Amino acid sequence: MTVAARRAPWRGGTALGLIAFVLVWESVARSLSGAYVLAAPSEVVLYLVGNAGLMARALAVTLGNALAGFVLGNLAAVFLAGVAVIWPRAQGVVTGLALLVFCLPLVATGPILRVFFGPGNGPQIVLAALAVYYTTLIPLLVGLRAAPDSWFDLVRSYGRGRVAALVHVRAMACLPYLFAGLQIAAPAAFLGAMVGEFTGGERGLGVLTIRAMRALDVPMTWALASVATAVAITAYLALGAIARRVLRDEPPVILAVPTVGDRRRFGTLRDIASVTALALAAWWVALAVAGLSPFFAKGPGDVFDALVLAGDAAQTRGALFAALGQTAVFLVPGYLAGLAAGAGLAALLVLVPAVAGVVMPLAIALRSVPIVTTAPLIVLLLGRGAAGTVVLVAVMVFFPTLIACLHGLAQAPGQAMDVLKSYAAGPLARLVRVRIPAMLPAFFAAARMNVPAAVLAVTVVEWLATGNGIGSLMAVSASLSDYDMLWSAVVVVAVLSALGYGAVGWVEVRVLRIYAPEQLA
Amino acid sequence: MAADTEPPDVVCTGLAKSFGATEVLRPFGLGFAAGQTTALVGPSGCGKSTLLRLIAGLEAPGAGAVTIGGAPVAETLARAGLSVAFQDPSLLPWRSVRGNIELALGLARRPVVARDIDQLIRLVGLEGFAETRPAALSGGMRQRAAIARALVTQPRLLLLDEPFGAVDELTRQQLAQDLPRIWEARGTTTILVTHSVAEAVMLSDRIIVLSARPAEMVEDIAVDLPRPREPGLARSLEYIDLTDRVFAALSRGMAARDTPLAAQ
Repeated sequence: MTVAARRAPWRGGTALGLIAFVLVWESVARSLSGAYVLAAPSEVVLYLVGNAGLMARALAVTLGNALAGFVLGNLAAVFLAGVAVIWPRAQGVVTGLALLVFCLPLVATGPILRVFFGPGNGPQIVLAALAVYYTTLIPLLVGLRAAPDSWFDLVRSYGRGRVAALVHVRAMACLPYLFAGLQIAAPAAFLGAMVGEFTGGERGLGVLTIRAMRALDVPMTWALASVATAVAITAYLALGAIARRVLRDEPPVILAVPTVGDRRRFGTLRDIASVTALALAAWWVALAVAGLSPFFAKGPGDVFDALVLAGDAAQTRGALFAALGQTAVFLVPGYLAGLAAGAGLAALLVLVPAVAGVVMPLAIALRSVPIVTTAPLIVLLLGRGAAGTVVLVAVMVFFPTLIACLHGLAQAPGQAMDVLKSYAAGPLARLVRVRIPAMLPAFFAAARMNVPAAVLAVTVVEWLATGNGIGSLMAVSASLSDYDMLWSAVVVVAVLSALGYGAVGWVEVRVLRIYAPEQLA
Repeated sequence: MAADTEPPDVVCTGLAKSFGATEVLRPFGLGFAAGQTTALVGPSGCGKSTLLRLIAGLEAPGAGAVTIGGAPVAETLARAGLSVAFQDPSLLPWRSVRGNIELALGLARRPVVARDIDQLIRLVGLEGFAETRPAALSGGMRQRAAIARALVTQPRLLLLDEPFGAVDELTRQQLAQDLPRIWEARGTTTILVTHSVAEAVMLSDRIIVLSARPAEMVEDIAVDLPRPREPGLARSLEYIDLTDRVFAALSRGMAARDTPLAAQ
């Protein structure tokens, strides 16, 4: 299966898959009618028709916020990538800071932004921007370097420097990667705007979602999730179409920066120290400039006090770590299950290519679905217990992993495959000996990028539904105005997410050193 | 040699290069006469390409210096006075053949003259492919496009790094006749890296045979064959004599180093 064959969606298969999907949904919903969990597609359509005005107004608001965040977040990404290219030594610090900001739990930054901005669309737009800039920055950084040295030699051989290289080589070479990032960013912006609305917006799909969930309005919940899904898929496909028009090629599948392997340990430590110092300084300066009430706005010193020095510091720490422990029980199994399911299904699809033709287009479409916005559905289906949370985290991790692994499996070197074929090795042997090792870089890239995504998923479910763990602790702290606890939780969650990302990277370097040393060069 | 009386155009003085602990080039002195074509021949990985990159100013020497027309390389670079055709054609995939050739003019800050470009495209046998993007070309066609790109700025110094590796035999013979005519007409100083002895003898006025890594000069051979050189020349005694000399020098260069090949 060549990349081209895999990318070209088989339209018949897609249509077949969609029809089957809707039929199964309808029949399951009908058999479960009365259980108040699943609305049938027909009910969803009826609801949408009956409430077209309401839905259209809410959709317009959310789309507007998402669009504003999309533009701002992507401009920030382009600016940061530009800094990293013009000043290559800054790249470690730029990506480190960007990762830390990306790891801020939206669930907690939402309420903080709400106090900061007051009523209005500010938090929605900022959260949408925060949700997109990292997924654009990372492919862009890869793209700006995605040119062989000889192209830069060519520029230099005519006596031209960095600016000419940027204009003639990098700016064009990065376009496919920029589009790949924008494609992922479009649904993410929608997700960010909806999470912003969860935190107390006045209008928008997020507000309606909360209302539907509280009222246990099953058709409304499913209608909202369907609209969110349709918008996300449309945005994803539209950007793909624009990319094909501009590039005349399909954008590449890019999930994360290749790990920088030959950096000396000192360089990494220095980067971590710089990132920490800069983050603390930026935090402190932002609060000083904003001139907010110290009751609400906590600085680095306040958080240190709350966690270490204050009389009730032990209690605060206790509550925080107890909540983290509860969260980990859902997060870790969900994350691992999602990774295993994604990689496993990808391998299975390679063994049964006929199924892949039907599943791939659906999976690509579903990758773009803001899974978190479907959290209410999972709650409806699986209740407020552990199963729902674990499943949601797993689903969140599953789709990106599946796509990345399928892409990786298709990278298997053709000649190595031919060698195995010439020894009459069967599909399974080829999968195990050639394809899976070729898949590992993509798998680990997905595993790394999924750490913050999984944290986002688990905290949103805890906040909206289960009332357990760190997500709930943050929500409760926000509503009780316990800002010491809220800011402490933000810091701890962001740092732990970044550490989790680093830990996956650590395993990645060790595995790739054996199976794909060229990725580390 | 005809150029003996003139000062050489390109001068390498005490040129040396190491990558980490690996010594690639032993201190090296060499002059290249203006308007002459010199082939650098040596075993794979001996440092020929590194020498070419040092001359092009793309790599900083560990020791020594390169001057072109008496001035440091950097000055020639700044005036866009040299062109390199790389081993990898290095065509930008989003530009057509014509677009890639125009890129060189853009980088060299020269005006684009469509007629000149058409002429070069014809010379390298790519008529009908001017608007084609590299992905749709064969390896040999890409290399020919890269040669056209290197020629378009009319450089005083042309550096070719194995430029015919993927070009088919017939086209190679044609290019071997056409290219020297252009170099002669323009007075271009040409330095050609190759591991093909036949190519070196057919194209050049002089062959420098290099040893296995770290590279040192083994022999400096003048090629006094008449021009234009028709393919039939390969059957002449002078040609066979010359190739024998180059092969002998290459063998000595291999034996001088403790390479796995020499040990065989």
